[in-house]
Amino acid sequence: MERPIAYDKLAREDRFVRMRARDVADLKIAQGLPPFPDLSSRESIKERVHGIMVGELQAMEGAGRSVCDFPEAPWEFTLDMARQVWDESRHVEIYLRLLEHLDGFAGEFPETTILWRCACAEDAAARVAGVNRGLEGLACDVFNQLVHIARKIGDPVLERAVEFVLADEITHVRMGSKWLTRLTEGDPERRRRAVEFQETIDERFNLGGVRREGEHDLVPISIATDVRRLAGFTEEEIERLIKTTQRSQVY
Amino acid sequence: MPHPLEGPFAVEHSARLLRNYRYVVERALRAAGGWIALTPELSAKLLLGRHVWDLAQHADAFGRRLPELRATAHQGEPANAAVVAFMDAVEAPEAPHETVERLVGVYRVLKPHLLAVYSQHLARANAVYEPPTRQILARCIEDETRHVTAGETILRHLVRTPELEARAAARQRRLEPLLAAAGGVTGDVPPDAPGGTASPAVETSDDAREWIRLEKAVGAWPMPAGLADALRAFGGALGAGDAAAVARWLAPGTGWDIAGLGARAPRSSRIVAFARIGRQCVVKLALDGAGPTVTLQSRWVPGEAGWRAAALEILGRDPAPAVLPPR
Repeated sequence: MERPIAYDKLAREDRFVRMRARDVADLKIAQGLPPFPDLSSRESIKERVHGIMVGELQAMEGAGRSVCDFPEAPWEFTLDMARQVWDESRHVEIYLRLLEHLDGFAGEFPETTILWRCACAEDAAARVAGVNRGLEGLACDVFNQLVHIARKIGDPVLERAVEFVLADEITHVRMGSKWLTRLTEGDPERRRRAVEFQETIDERFNLGGVRREGEHDLVPISIATDVRRLAGFTEEEIERLIKTTQRSQVY
Repeated sequence: MPHPLEGPFAVEHSARLLRNYRYVVERALRAAGGWIALTPELSAKLLLGRHVWDLAQHADAFGRRLPELRATAHQGEPANAAVVAFMDAVEAPEAPHETVERLVGVYRVLKPHLLAVYSQHLARANAVYEPPTRQILARCIEDETRHVTAGETILRHLVRTPELEARAAARQRRLEPLLAAAGGVTGDVPPDAPGGTASPAVETSDDAREWIRLEKAVGAWPMPAGLADALRAFGGALGAGDAAAVARWLAPGTGWDIAGLGARAPRSSRIVAFARIGRQCVVKLALDGAGPTVTLQSRWVPGEAGWRAAALEILGRDPAPAVLPPR
């Protein structure tokens, strides 16, 4: 089998429209809309849920590639990645059903492949740092906020389902921390490159100032500091993330 | 009546069988994981995604049992070179249009065979001194039964034309002799050994019929007023090869020419994707004609004159487009 595959080989059914994240954001701004759905209405929650659904799809595909691409990694690494594939496949199903719950459908909004691109790192340590700590860390922020919003608007279906997904994501971050350490043991240069890769992803997923420290109702994506602590991020890492969001360019 | 301590397997033989299983299961696991990204159909993605973890646990259980049988932990071993060739053939189809070939290899050839081999092994393994192996086999049989049933459900959903049926059959005809030539995954299964059978009655939370339901395309796209009419007229203009009529549907400043479609005008167009960006809409049209199907992506904006296309892009020409049945 080809290992790893080029990022443009990601296969999709025709019904999905694929566009660059920047182009979608620009088209929305040109219409006087926020670049990312702000959870202020059921419609924007639906759009956020659609974005999460395609993100989960790409996370499943990325974890599947990690099972495939690194046969030389320790067996326990493959086991953890296989477990993540299973988790993400359930998440895809959960979010497809939540889309139905919100009267939406798969393909209703464009898919961007920014997450998938991050999952194409050639080094296993960089991939777990970027995907399991960078992207799944973002997922912790987004899902924690979505649980809060669902509770506030009185949607127990959304609240309960997303809370269970959040529990899985915390586990995935822990897996990422474990494998970042184990895979780079005795190789500080490899660790440095992997952490750098994660930081570029964190920076990218500050989404131009959309992710910030703040109350769930006041910022588009609030950093889930408590959940991040639970997932094993250090105080120093959380502090650094908050600082980077403060210097990110704002749309 | 046989003595309760009689058994056909020596410790070394039992370890060898587990190494053989572990080899093929690990390869199947890695292939299935890698295929998820290469497979377009959502139901097939979910099928593979659900089963990767089960396969990993099977390989792990075999691998952990090995040191208890005086062998090295987690060391798989092919029974012979022909098993390697068989697994190479199973994992070969990687193109997006080869989902049927991928699934037939795993769900109609490999897994039914594993089910048969595990069942035969369980039936023969001594109940007094091999319970650890028997427990592993029982779990694998339960999972493989479920997998084969789910795989067959998805295959029946995907294989819906005579051409696809022929491809599925050809794939099975190619792989089965390879497996027989290897003597099965353990190298010693006679060619006429009974195959595994999957119970069709297995009901679990991971129901393949639900994945198919979730995959089904929407029957009627929820379009804003006027857009469906505009798209119908635009498609008609494309079908007539009428450049002037096409141009009437373009927003000012949109540089696109029908000549981009090539010499042959499409006979018909159908909407295959509809997405919203704020008040604008992105529509994918599949243009069918004498040549390959052309996919045209267009972004439509509302204005005083009605809906107009502000951007158009030809995404590709597909000789065998995947068309999902309407809900």
